[in-house]
Amino acid sequence: MPANRTSFLVGREGIGGPYFLLTFLHPETAREARPGQFVMIKAGASAEPPLRRPFSILGASPERETFTLFVKAIGPGSNALCALPLGGIAQCLGPLGHPFSPPPDGTEAALVGGGYGVAPFSFLGDELARRGQAARLFYGGRTRAELPLLGRLRDQGIEVVPATEDGSVGAKGRVTLALEAQLDRATKPQRLYACGPEAMLHAVARIAAARGLEAEVSLDPWMGCGVGTCLGCVVRVQGQGDARWKYRCACTEGPVFDAARVVWPGESESHARLLAGARA
Amino acid sequence: MNLAVELAGIRLKNPLVAASGTFGYGLEYEGVIELAALGGIVSKGLYLEPRDGAPPPRIAETPSGLLNAIGLQGIGIHAFVKDVLPRLRTHDTAVFVNVCGDTVEEYAEVARVCDAAEGIAGLEINISCPNVKQGGMAFGGDPRMTHAVVAAVRAATRLPVIPKLSPNVADIALFARAAEEAGADALSCINTLLGLAIDVEARRPKLGFGTGGLSGPAIRPVAVRMAWQAARAVRIPVIGIGGIASAQDALEFLIAGCHAVQIGTANFVDPGIYARVLAELGAYLERHGKSEIRELVGTLEYPGEAREC
Repeated sequence: MPANRTSFLVGREGIGGPYFLLTFLHPETAREARPGQFVMIKAGASAEPPLRRPFSILGASPERETFTLFVKAIGPGSNALCALPLGGIAQCLGPLGHPFSPPPDGTEAALVGGGYGVAPFSFLGDELARRGQAARLFYGGRTRAELPLLGRLRDQGIEVVPATEDGSVGAKGRVTLALEAQLDRATKPQRLYACGPEAMLHAVARIAAARGLEAEVSLDPWMGCGVGTCLGCVVRVQGQGDARWKYRCACTEGPVFDAARVVWPGESESHARLLAGARA
Repeated sequence: MNLAVELAGIRLKNPLVAASGTFGYGLEYEGVIELAALGGIVSKGLYLEPRDGAPPPRIAETPSGLLNAIGLQGIGIHAFVKDVLPRLRTHDTAVFVNVCGDTVEEYAEVARVCDAAEGIAGLEINISCPNVKQGGMAFGGDPRMTHAVVAAVRAATRLPVIPKLSPNVADIALFARAAEEAGADALSCINTLLGLAIDVEARRPKLGFGTGGLSGPAIRPVAVRMAWQAARAVRIPVIGIGGIASAQDALEFLIAGCHAVQIGTANFVDPGIYARVLAELGAYLERHGKSEIRELVGTLEYPGEAREC
């Protein structure tokens, strides 16, 4: 059950440019959070900006009763969070949403993180390692500066394949190229997990559909409440057994969805339905 | 300290009611906050049948406000009565249904379904949603249509009938009087203000529907003014709505003449707002030597004849 409470900032680390690791005291989130879940959080008690923001959970420590966020300061909500002093307060509701589901035994996990969308994969990588499941993280950005977690993720023991559009670190080009190159070589079954810009998620969904792979994507629309009351964060998703897509709340029915069930921008049907039609 | 209020024959344990569209069907906040702390809950707008609502993006943050075009996505009255109400009514808070319709007859039919159900305290009539193509504002923007909808609902139910008026009119008093004449028991004032936010890079509206309804602290002075005008125009009680985020804000509406208030956008900012505002209201009463919140209603000392323009 999510808890709504005032939360103290107990750890704050700038990791280059606009990127910060922020650790908050929040016993319920620390205890119950699963990889892929998020919190709705807002710094301080000021009126501006009005709304809380959703952030994927980077990690949680039940012992310390804390969770950590990976935040890029890019707007009024994230700027205010990153400007909080140690001991500063935030209003926080969490943990929220559906987590990623682990792959079946014998299947390898290919995690695809774009920019700050890499956040949930530190948490998921840890969980998969604990379960003894193989995972590889494809971490993409425009430049090296957009991959500030690279060293930490490797230190954590995750196998990371970086890719940058300018080639400043890792393979040159989009992260989905690195993913496809690996999928071409893979000898074991693969399951895809993606979080990042919508265009990247859409590309991962197409790759999964073309190769007959399962993929889970974490969607990030604007959210008002985080608990399904405002209906502001809906996405077009085709449920199991539904004749056509329906608007579903990313906060309560996601943010993690089966990529084949999402109706992507510019498309009129889910990949699941298109593939079923092609088979019929 | 007595925070209880009474309006349209309904006793509310306190004057704070969750506004339609900002509190889902109530159960979403079960376990997150104590629902019994609320004076009441108004459901998300309900038609006879489920509705898909408007295309995303549906919300955009604006200065001290929120612009939305949800388009009345909802589960429909039958699912609400069958699947939500039995559990919602176990919480000690008044349950109001926000009644929607594409036609006058649909409003009346939804009201009849509510009338036959157990556990509904009253009906808020949504004649003011700016985000649907038919119904909604079409009924709230013409006093004759307001009269027609309210009279039809009045004839369909014994439950208290509470039209929710639109601020997107020149003179809200006309609409308040039309609703009163048609048999309304109380009024909710106000719904959202019609707005438009533009993504200048894409040169498109920020919302999928185009225009949207503005809510939040940005609209509060407009809302207080319109609730005050409506309260002065009619004998039935008015429920004030618009940008309430603190006890001070709620007090403005009560002093302006409202018997209760609704909290909307602030639910998103902090669903724990009710406990905080109630404590602050109690402290205010104590500070002003009053024992009943009701004593404050309509106590505004407005400048009289001597006011110069």
